[in-house]
Amino acid sequence: MRRRTTLIAAAVAAATLGLSACGDGSLEATGDLDGSKLTIYSAQHKNLTQAWGEEFQKETGIDVQIRYGNDSSMGAQIVEEGAGSPADVFLTENSPAMTTVEQAGLLAPVDPATLAQVGDAYVPSSKDWVGIAARATVLVYNPSKIKEADLPASLMDLADPKYAGQWGAAAGGADFQAIVSAVLAQEGEQKTEAWLRALKSNAKIYQNNIATMKAVNAGQSAMGIIYHYYWYRDQALQKSSSGNTKLHYFKNQDPGAFVSLSGGGVLKSSKHAADAQKFLAFVTGPQGQKLLRTTDVKEYAVGKGAASDPALPPLDSLEAPRIDPFTLNGPKVIDLMTKAGLL
Amino acid sequence: MAAVLVALLCLLPLVVVLAKALEAGAGEAFSLVWRPRVGELMRNTLSLLALTGVLATVLGVGAAWLVERTAVPWAGLWRVAFVAPLAVPAFVNSFAWSSLVPGFEGLAGAVIVTTLSYFPFVFLPVAALLRSTDPGLEEASRALGNGPWRTFARVGLAQVRPALLGGVLLVLLHLLAEYGALEMLRFPTFTTAILDQFEVAFDSRSGSVLAVVLIGLATLLLTLEVLARGRTRYVAVGSGAARRPTRASLGRALPAALLGLAALAVLALGVPLWSIGTWLGRADQALEPVALGPALRSTLVLGLVAALVTTAATLPAAWLVARSRSRVALLLERVTYLAASLPGVVVALALITLTIGFARPLYQTTTALVVAYVVLFIPLAMVSTRAAIATVRPELADAARALGDGPVRTFVRVQAPLMLRGTLAGTALVFVAVTTELTATLLLAPTGTRTLATAFWDASASLDYAAAAPFAAAMVVLSAPLTWLLLRGGHEEPRP
Amino acid sequence: MTTLRLEGISASHPRTPVLHDIDLTVASGTTTAVLGPSGCGKTTLLRVVAGFMRPDTGTVRLGDEVVAGPGTWVPPERRGFGYVAQEGNLFPHLDVAANISYGLPRAERRARGRVAELLEVVGLPADLAGRRPDQLSGGQQQRVALARSLARRPGIVLLDEPFSALDPELRVATRDAVAAALRHERATVVLVTHDHAEALSFADQVAVLHDGGLVQVGAPPEVYTAPSDRRSAVSLGEACFLPGVLEDGVVRCALGRLAAPGASGSGPCEVVLRPEQLVLGPVASGIAHGVVTRTEYFGHDALVELRLDGDRAPVLRARITGAPPPVAGDEVSVTVRGDAHLLAAPAAG
Repeated sequence: MRRRTTLIAAAVAAATLGLSACGDGSLEATGDLDGSKLTIYSAQHKNLTQAWGEEFQKETGIDVQIRYGNDSSMGAQIVEEGAGSPADVFLTENSPAMTTVEQAGLLAPVDPATLAQVGDAYVPSSKDWVGIAARATVLVYNPSKIKEADLPASLMDLADPKYAGQWGAAAGGADFQAIVSAVLAQEGEQKTEAWLRALKSNAKIYQNNIATMKAVNAGQSAMGIIYHYYWYRDQALQKSSSGNTKLHYFKNQDPGAFVSLSGGGVLKSSKHAADAQKFLAFVTGPQGQKLLRTTDVKEYAVGKGAASDPALPPLDSLEAPRIDPFTLNGPKVIDLMTKAGLL
Repeated sequence: MAAVLVALLCLLPLVVVLAKALEAGAGEAFSLVWRPRVGELMRNTLSLLALTGVLATVLGVGAAWLVERTAVPWAGLWRVAFVAPLAVPAFVNSFAWSSLVPGFEGLAGAVIVTTLSYFPFVFLPVAALLRSTDPGLEEASRALGNGPWRTFARVGLAQVRPALLGGVLLVLLHLLAEYGALEMLRFPTFTTAILDQFEVAFDSRSGSVLAVVLIGLATLLLTLEVLARGRTRYVAVGSGAARRPTRASLGRALPAALLGLAALAVLALGVPLWSIGTWLGRADQALEPVALGPALRSTLVLGLVAALVTTAATLPAAWLVARSRSRVALLLERVTYLAASLPGVVVALALITLTIGFARPLYQTTTALVVAYVVLFIPLAMVSTRAAIATVRPELADAARALGDGPVRTFVRVQAPLMLRGTLAGTALVFVAVTTELTATLLLAPTGTRTLATAFWDASASLDYAAAAPFAAAMVVLSAPLTWLLLRGGHEEPRP
Repeated sequence: MTTLRLEGISASHPRTPVLHDIDLTVASGTTTAVLGPSGCGKTTLLRVVAGFMRPDTGTVRLGDEVVAGPGTWVPPERRGFGYVAQEGNLFPHLDVAANISYGLPRAERRARGRVAELLEVVGLPADLAGRRPDQLSGGQQQRVALARSLARRPGIVLLDEPFSALDPELRVATRDAVAAALRHERATVVLVTHDHAEALSFADQVAVLHDGGLVQVGAPPEVYTAPSDRRSAVSLGEACFLPGVLEDGVVRCALGRLAAPGASGSGPCEVVLRPEQLVLGPVASGIAHGVVTRTEYFGHDALVELRLDGDRAPVLRARITGAPPPVAGDEVSVTVRGDAHLLAAPAAG
């Protein structure tokens, strides 16, 4: 009898506690319904976005809240939310998702002053968003599994049956899809399709870039397609995931030398348009670009005169193919990947 | 009436998914379903269902029989050991195994992890039934010349059939909806593929079409279970077994039995706990700083609120199902199961579509998130609550009415206290499920919310095991009281 | 101390009518047994009185108040009756004291005086108060259930086969204790039972229910010796039926000419006799003769089945006491003690 009463009391107390916690807003879960804060939808890395948000808040006194996600889904989510989107700013890791939002007519033009802070190569022809960082495609390989001389000369060569079972990629992720969009832009639909089919039969599919790199490090795959910064970050730490590996740059304007642009844009529907523009200006300005170096994210800076992390080979030494990010076609890539049975 | 409303709520996501899939048009839908990738997913999903289903049954029933019906020592200890794995979320288990054993992946890995994570769903009800059923039938079988093994096969299994089927159904529905564990083990099923679709297109038709296939599979399972259960009445456990079942002596098989039980306990409980412990010891090597506090707090609050709301929402339908055997009641109950077999992301996307379209103020609020939890986890509460209600005889309410209590006071003074334990077990199951929910939380939670599960997932997705371990440990600790509630729940021990 | 009046009660379960046109009055302070085979609707009748079920038509009056009738409905908790069911239905989560005091106002629940008093009334030791229901025997559970139902001093107590789940020894003892307790409380009592001995011994008035309708209502000796029809006769115990012809207050049948006081008219009729009215003797004596076909021996008495001589002769059952009973094959003579009661009396004239 007594124990039962105690149980009931405990349950009721717990419920009251829970509801009151919800009611007084001490739980972050109640969010910012009246929209007084600047809301950033970010597919960029958490620590980098957070650093940008905190510095910006310190600098301007504007309150910032961040919702995390990944490129494609967040882009599509903004499209679904339409003119009523709670988002003020959208930050991506790769440009195709930004293009999706732009083509839905949801982006406001970026302040010319902000555009001027960034190199011309990092601004799309539409000028509706701006590059905020860049990342390079690399081939990570395990020298004990494959000799440097045996590495493919081009990303396209990985389709060769002789590499079957030797390489891996995170095909489900937005990063890889950006690379495929570069392949599509440069090689055309037919070749891309054939390459994807080969990928389906030749490659091991991993959850993400880190898992790919770890598998190469552990010798489970000889090679893997990843972005450069995962490797440099691990090298700067304990090298526990990359100690046995080396990087190979395809260069030579190969699709495998693709440099992907991370973008930032302001939503047309933003109720804090001025603050949002300020945020983009901050991210692309000297302070924001400096954070790319100081937070150890190892991504390339794109601001005029902003230095990238000294451990990285200079961006212009990578012989990346020249592609207007505006032309990268996200939906088409997904169609092709679905056709190839990767999705 | 309330039961119908809850069932309708559970149906909403299904309707949205169907509508989305229909948008694709018959031709496109067909080409989306009829492609090699779907065949591959179907093969994977079915092999997983078959293998894990069989293994969980064998382990669950075998362990239950050894613990409850043989003279194996330390029965109480084993009981705890085989219920406790429920406190370790499958994706934490998956993380534990793959961080310990390099190259642990694919079908074999998926079957091992899911079996070890889900076999308690079979063990728990079967053990409870074996513990409390009258041994009379089995004695009759022995008198008719059947040995103990044959008796168990011919009579014992028949007696535990309803409990067994219910448990296996839970295992299979969990398998259909499992995402984290399988994604980590690189074993694509419909659910992981739907998640991939969502990642690339947020709300793609292709994803909806896959979800419809998944709904079809779940419907098939639910129907099969009803058919297999047949006319067997749901046995009211503990309604006064006259005698304790006798325990068979194991003789020379005892060491082997003990070894088997110990091995199962080590694999299901020892490995994940040891692995988490190991990584916890290296927490200082984490790449990202670990902020446990806020995640712990939002998880606790969300879990408690959702668990209580879900339990309340379960009561009307559970009441109906326990008290009436009508087809309508059965249908209402099955409907609530159906939505729960969907991956969280599908339910979440449907709710996003609904809130953006029809209830904008609810978009990205805790309320919408709690609604998603209710839809996703109502069967967990349903199973326990229904059993709890079944143990409260309707005549007791008459007695209370005759003594001057109106319906409400009768419920408060008689029915509620009698149902409390069993219902609380269901509430606890929901709490644990919410604690470990991943995909719906990511999509629906208000901006800025971070729960233990999402924080764990962030860390483990970047294979930062050291950063993930504290969140895993916190989830296990939060879930631990469940073991106690489940062991004590529902079944009043009949006194001799 | 409440009079119960049922007028024109009909009730049905979904799609199956159960009760029709029930009129019954239970006088204040008296006990009425509703007797009938299982499925006759007697529990439904009790549930209608209790308010667990709504009648389709008719009114239920408790004292001066209409508790169920056209446009009136009083829920069970406000009718103020005591109720004891077959299984006792003690609350398993409460101990004996809490069960008994369940219906009392909060203040009275704390004071244990009433609990002790009630335990004494039902003849249970006071130290049972702390036990849980599953630690009690069946008879004890029933007595606690009665004590619980009496706690609020109800004007009327409804008993739904409260003794049928007990074994025979316990049944009699419990019944006696309950009867004593009810007398002590001077409550109006309605007992539902399928056991005619229980009905006849327990009640001041017996109501025979058959297929949802009342067949006969009266004092126990009246309904036993003068059943209104075959169903009523059989409900109340063993009975023999014989065809006869009535003439001038005397009925002629296979057992000779029997006095039928109160019967008027003349013509064919049906005679009902109770087994103890038949007296067996040696073949030499008596008017009718027969052969014993079977004997059931109970010790204190015996039931002897016999067939009278002649074609198409009816089978009779006689209850005899004392001397060793005749056995199968014995030839006996049969005479009738007391008056005959006629069922289907011929039309007057």
